[in-house]
Amino acid sequence: MQPSGFRAKHNTHVLRVLIVLVVLGVAGGLARALLLPSSFGKYGHYRADAVREEMRRPLRNMTNESCLACHPNIKKIHLAGVHRTVSCEVCHSAYADHIAEGKVVAKMPVRRGEEIRTLCLRCHNRIIRARPKESIKMIAMPDHLEQKGVRTDHLCNQCHHVHAPLKWIREARAAMGLPERPQTAAEGGVSWMRD
Amino acid sequence: MHGLAETASGAVGYVFPNDLHVHWSLMIVLYPYITGIVAGAFIVSSLYHVFHVKALRPIARFSLLFALAFLACATLPLLNHLGHPERALNMMLTPSPSSAMAGFGYIYSAYAVVLLLEILFIYRPTLVRLAQTSTGWRRSLYGVLSLGSDNLSDEALALDRKIIAFLAGIGIPMACVLHGYVGFIFGGVKANPLWATPLMPVIFLLSACVSGIAGIILAYMVIKRGEVDMTCIRTCLKYLWGFFILDFVFEMLEVFSHAYMATHHWETLHTLLWGPLFNSYWVGQVLIFSVVPFFLLGVLSLVRLDDGMVRFLAPLVSLMILIQVLLMRWNVVIGGQLMSKSERGAVFFHPEWFEKEGIVPAIVIMVLPLVILYVLGKIFPFWLPAEEKRG
Repeated sequence: MQPSGFRAKHNTHVLRVLIVLVVLGVAGGLARALLLPSSFGKYGHYRADAVREEMRRPLRNMTNESCLACHPNIKKIHLAGVHRTVSCEVCHSAYADHIAEGKVVAKMPVRRGEEIRTLCLRCHNRIIRARPKESIKMIAMPDHLEQKGVRTDHLCNQCHHVHAPLKWIREARAAMGLPERPQTAAEGGVSWMRD
Repeated sequence: MHGLAETASGAVGYVFPNDLHVHWSLMIVLYPYITGIVAGAFIVSSLYHVFHVKALRPIARFSLLFALAFLACATLPLLNHLGHPERALNMMLTPSPSSAMAGFGYIYSAYAVVLLLEILFIYRPTLVRLAQTSTGWRRSLYGVLSLGSDNLSDEALALDRKIIAFLAGIGIPMACVLHGYVGFIFGGVKANPLWATPLMPVIFLLSACVSGIAGIILAYMVIKRGEVDMTCIRTCLKYLWGFFILDFVFEMLEVFSHAYMATHHWETLHTLLWGPLFNSYWVGQVLIFSVVPFFLLGVLSLVRLDDGMVRFLAPLVSLMILIQVLLMRWNVVIGGQLMSKSERGAVFFHPEWFEKEGIVPAIVIMVLPLVILYVLGKIFPFWLPAEEKRG
């Protein structure tokens, strides 16, 4: 061993490193004990109180049943048409914008004029090529209007009832004595969608 | 961010509403790039400290500081991308063994401890001497960094050597895991056909080694200019070539196996590689920045060129390799997201200069490690003093 002219022992620095690591470990443990929310881990790897806090948030959206309970006439038409699975809130607005604590607080927005076209094309625009054609009628504008022989500034709801898009078409065909057209899949002709 | 109106109006053609925005931006390109440089630089140092490649002695200490400077910035892109950096340490308070993303945080932290300790132990004799010869705040700083010990006896140095060997030994697998893990994070995204391959960790790891070695060569030659050790440079170039052969071959094998298997995803991948990625992948990453450096490195390793030629070609080829790896990160990270989830075509990504994750923040994040390296250089001498060089 070399005669020592040094103040520190040969392993002082190593011991100090170990002490620093241990102190850091203990400080980490203490920080965890102090900062960890008390309900963490009660049910799983999350803060159990978060569930209760989320449950306390007022609901904004409801089901069609809630809407149709107060709108019996719309209910009759909506449930008979091919739009029966479309949620009311998709075209109108969230339930909470209209009803709070069982009372009407504001008028529900109803789309009119040009807004109707924009709204319908959100789902029915043929340009949305990622959507399978089988489940929904896809059209291009103004091709559809030209093909039907109507003016190209016609709005969708001049021919289609927005809640039951084929209702007036069928009624018109019946009134004119035309045979019922076989339904395509997009018009609700799939067995599970048929009336 | 897209509001509902933009989303609705943008979602046309084959593009789904959740396809409009490339969420893993430039920041996620930089994250594996910086982490790779860290891992690669550490491996250069380990070649000397563990595998005793004596020729690399002049840069063995420098590579550790180089790794530390980049390690200090490795999480910055993620913190900027995710936002709420104050929540970063929550994963330490509530460690989740099933989170692949949190896993990186644990590996990163453990690796940072090993790297810091290795630097302190390797530099200890130098730090002790500096503590004795400097005055004022520098003396106090060196006192703390030398862990308050002035003991440089043979016994103490022998103990240090054992500890250094141990740290460097566990550092190699940790550096490999650090970057292989980044590849695993991408490779584990089964919904993305460009990423979901078990080759991904291998490719990331090899490209990490390549970018680290190239970074070290370039930095060494830029900082030392005319005084570089040519044996050291020639040895580095040989390792660079070796790792690059493996890296490039695996990158190509990955594409060839996709092409040969020709699963139902191949059509999309094909459209991607020969469409929006054609220039950045085939022209940039493969042709200019892989094939050219591949032959240059071959010549540099096999033909005995004179020193002047090596001095000219080595930084050039290193820079090309650094660009190759950056392009590879871009093509993987951004490229993987340019496939529409409808698999019917590509979407587009145009980074802005001044947005939160734009080009300017990316440049700042890439410059920051160099600033840190400069500051580290003021504290830890990069190069060995003349009398130690012979030792």
